[in-house]
Amino acid sequence: MTGSNEQVIIDRWKDEPAPLLPVLQELHDRDGYLSEEALHAVAVGLRIPIADLFGTVTFYHHFSREPGGLAASRVCTGPVCKMKGADALVAALEGATPMPCSGRCDDPIPVLQGHDTLVGLSADTLESRPSPLPPTALTGVEECVFAHIREPGRASLSGYEKTGGYEGLREALEKTPEDILQVMSDSGLAGRGGAGFPTGVKWKAVADAEGHPKTIVCNADEGEPGCFKDRCLMDYDPHAIVEGMVLAAYATGATRGFIYLRYEYPETERVLDQALAEAHAAGFLGTNILGSDFEFDLYVRRGAGAYICGEETSLLNSLEGKHPFPRNRPPYPVTHGFEDLPTVVNNVETLASVAPIVRRGAEWYKSLGRGEQAGTKVISLSGDVVRPGNYEVPLGFPLLELIQWAGGVPEGRSIQAVTMAGLSGGFLAGDDMDVTLDEPSIRSKGSFLGAGGIMVFDDSRDMIEVSHQAMEFFAHESCGKCFPCRIGTQRLMERLAGKAGPKDLEPWIDEVADLGKTMMETSACGLGVAAPLITNSLLKYFPEQVSDHVKR
Amino acid sequence: MTGTNGRAHENLTFILDGEEVPFADGETIYEVSERHQREIPTLCYDPRLDPFGGCRMCIVEVEGARNPVASCTTKAASGMKVKTKGGRLEMHRRVLLEMVASENRTVDVDELSGYASQELGTLVDRYDARTDRFQGRQSGTSHGDDPNPFILRDYENCISCYRCVRVCAEQEGDYAISVMNRGFATQITTEFNGLLKDSACTFCGQCVQTCPTGALADLKALANADVPGTTEKTRTICTYCGVGCSIDILTRDDEIVGVLPAMDGPANNGALCIKGQYAYDFVGHRDRLTTPFVKGEDGQLRPSTWDEALDRAAEGLGKVVEEHGRHSLYAIASGRAPNEAAYVMQKFVRAGLGTNYIDNCSRA
Repeated sequence: MTGSNEQVIIDRWKDEPAPLLPVLQELHDRDGYLSEEALHAVAVGLRIPIADLFGTVTFYHHFSREPGGLAASRVCTGPVCKMKGADALVAALEGATPMPCSGRCDDPIPVLQGHDTLVGLSADTLESRPSPLPPTALTGVEECVFAHIREPGRASLSGYEKTGGYEGLREALEKTPEDILQVMSDSGLAGRGGAGFPTGVKWKAVADAEGHPKTIVCNADEGEPGCFKDRCLMDYDPHAIVEGMVLAAYATGATRGFIYLRYEYPETERVLDQALAEAHAAGFLGTNILGSDFEFDLYVRRGAGAYICGEETSLLNSLEGKHPFPRNRPPYPVTHGFEDLPTVVNNVETLASVAPIVRRGAEWYKSLGRGEQAGTKVISLSGDVVRPGNYEVPLGFPLLELIQWAGGVPEGRSIQAVTMAGLSGGFLAGDDMDVTLDEPSIRSKGSFLGAGGIMVFDDSRDMIEVSHQAMEFFAHESCGKCFPCRIGTQRLMERLAGKAGPKDLEPWIDEVADLGKTMMETSACGLGVAAPLITNSLLKYFPEQVSDHVKR
Repeated sequence: MTGTNGRAHENLTFILDGEEVPFADGETIYEVSERHQREIPTLCYDPRLDPFGGCRMCIVEVEGARNPVASCTTKAASGMKVKTKGGRLEMHRRVLLEMVASENRTVDVDELSGYASQELGTLVDRYDARTDRFQGRQSGTSHGDDPNPFILRDYENCISCYRCVRVCAEQEGDYAISVMNRGFATQITTEFNGLLKDSACTFCGQCVQTCPTGALADLKALANADVPGTTEKTRTICTYCGVGCSIDILTRDDEIVGVLPAMDGPANNGALCIKGQYAYDFVGHRDRLTTPFVKGEDGQLRPSTWDEALDRAAEGLGKVVEEHGRHSLYAIASGRAPNEAAYVMQKFVRAGLGTNYIDNCSRA
């Protein structure tokens, strides 16, 4: 099976930045799995201890170590797809295995076959079709990142340039990097991947940090269940992300960049490759960008199936070919990022907002939000809602109004609960759903907006089962570095499954509460901190369902 | 990463449990706290290794921080107010111990398992943690089929602290041990989850000695678990080579039952090689020579005295020089001898025998 050309593959990549993932992907593609021989060659070629390489390969969900593994169907069993019958689909497709939410909740159920996504609710209706565009914008709402996304041909360079694409970059090159930093700072733009860190502050820190080369990383590892906004932006407006990254590079003095794309978006990789080639040919990337002495090289690197790689320091370790555990912080990536050098890590949506802000100004962007809130947020709305999809709303927009705009829950049903931040924010239910879509409002209910994934559950759903699936996801994705998350997610999952734990309500709640508290207060990264919001909100809103569950 | 960086800074202090304490730039809260006898509990910490931040037992409260921080990975900073004790911290530590205990088969392991093997059990006792709480699946699959005679791989007692992985990489430089899978399915492993003998392992035993649960344990020592008597420790120097690693010999009634590396050994800092760690059988072996032998008239070896043996050797060497010249001799000093002995050896060969033909087996 494995032939002599693995050396050719390794030689081609070994002097490129961040070579491990692409080398492994190519060998995985060539053989349909990662053989011992191939891994031995990679270990020698890239000078990685073989035991470490083996361990790291096993960390990723999608790297197969068995012949035929790549070709086997992987069926999304995320929360929404489960509601739509994903388990039956896994059973119906021969050799199929489940995979965590793969970001197609507005058009379920995605099935990955090799590097193609098929979609359908049953085995005989599976077909290849483009990911959905955002539905019609809300009346009276001015969009930022979606303003032009529905225009035909937008993904091509000519389509992008039709409405001012790369004008922001041209204008920026007439100004100083400090000017750009100022605009970003004034705009109030904050990280749209969930953490909400002010983008201007982050860029300034990288601009001020010592050490070269500096790096811009686009975090496109959209792994949060119920989030599919970054896929939409990349599929239909890839140049907006490229332009945003070039602007970030200009502002911070970075000379190289990576788009770290999740494995589950193979079509998106092809779109990005095409966009990068066009941008390079047109002089927006590479050396002497638009005739200036500014240079910036941009690379796409595809992950291999690990939610934790959406955590920025895990992502950086993954890029560097290391075991993708989160790093201890401080130091932060702004000073010690990719290869321990100053690095900006920004989410796709954040970067897509940059060019419009540079072109139209900080005041314009700020004014898009409601009240004290600056700008917009894309909400991925899915689940029991008539028109699921990505909606760009002003920050501060009422949640229930958005759900209403999306057609509400199906006829004859009522809303039981919604998730926040995908799954990471746990549930809101009852009167607590009367929030506006911004961090202060949602945090006042003990949850958070995060990356903006919201899944709706109507009154027919078993919230214990929903919670169990959520915790199963967190347990599956826990990296295993810190004790509270590694053990805590497992123990909570077992208790929600009814497989283990006390049979009386009081000790059951006591165990679940203690596990949750210690996870929230001592976990090393956000995964373990957020996971118990599921059980906390379950106990808060659905005590009767919990009581019935423990007793049965 | 760890330790003071030696640069003297004036007036750097922070408040540790209400007491103003000095620290050096770069020191972690844990390091300073240890110097002040705070006895912060740890499981994934080994002072010789880069801090990892996995077990979260060493959490402390820092004024202004919402959640406790891991003191092993958090650098001390001027003016910081740190609390190492208190109800909230003790509660978390106890829950963490109960979580860890729930994933293992047992927390009680034989003390002969290894140097650090009692750490988990001791902490469980100290915090009065319940070992029957948080019941559920246990983690780790033991490698009972590994036929090596030195290292027990009982991963059902593993708590995934990665000390073995890190000591193998950072101290020994073998990179033989790694970690496969993730989350609760995490498994300490070697390349392709095979046997130790098929990996880069050199059987130095450092993974065994840093393991805080006895999941990796000293099989040779455990074979002596039933030897009667109380275990005594005797500090000595390993006789195998000139490095001079400090070791503690474990004996019961004058019988060696095991060897522990001395963590404070100036030459080895807790490190040993396979010979120092495991190859002590020669001490009491029936074939071991305890007196010099010389050949009699009949050509048979017989026990003798040092005086007679040395006279016989001198006579023989002198005869060779007389008959074949001084350059017909070549001497090799043993790598087991220390520098001083090697020096005397070359002096003897050069001045005594009159030849430059002297080398050392560490090089030859």
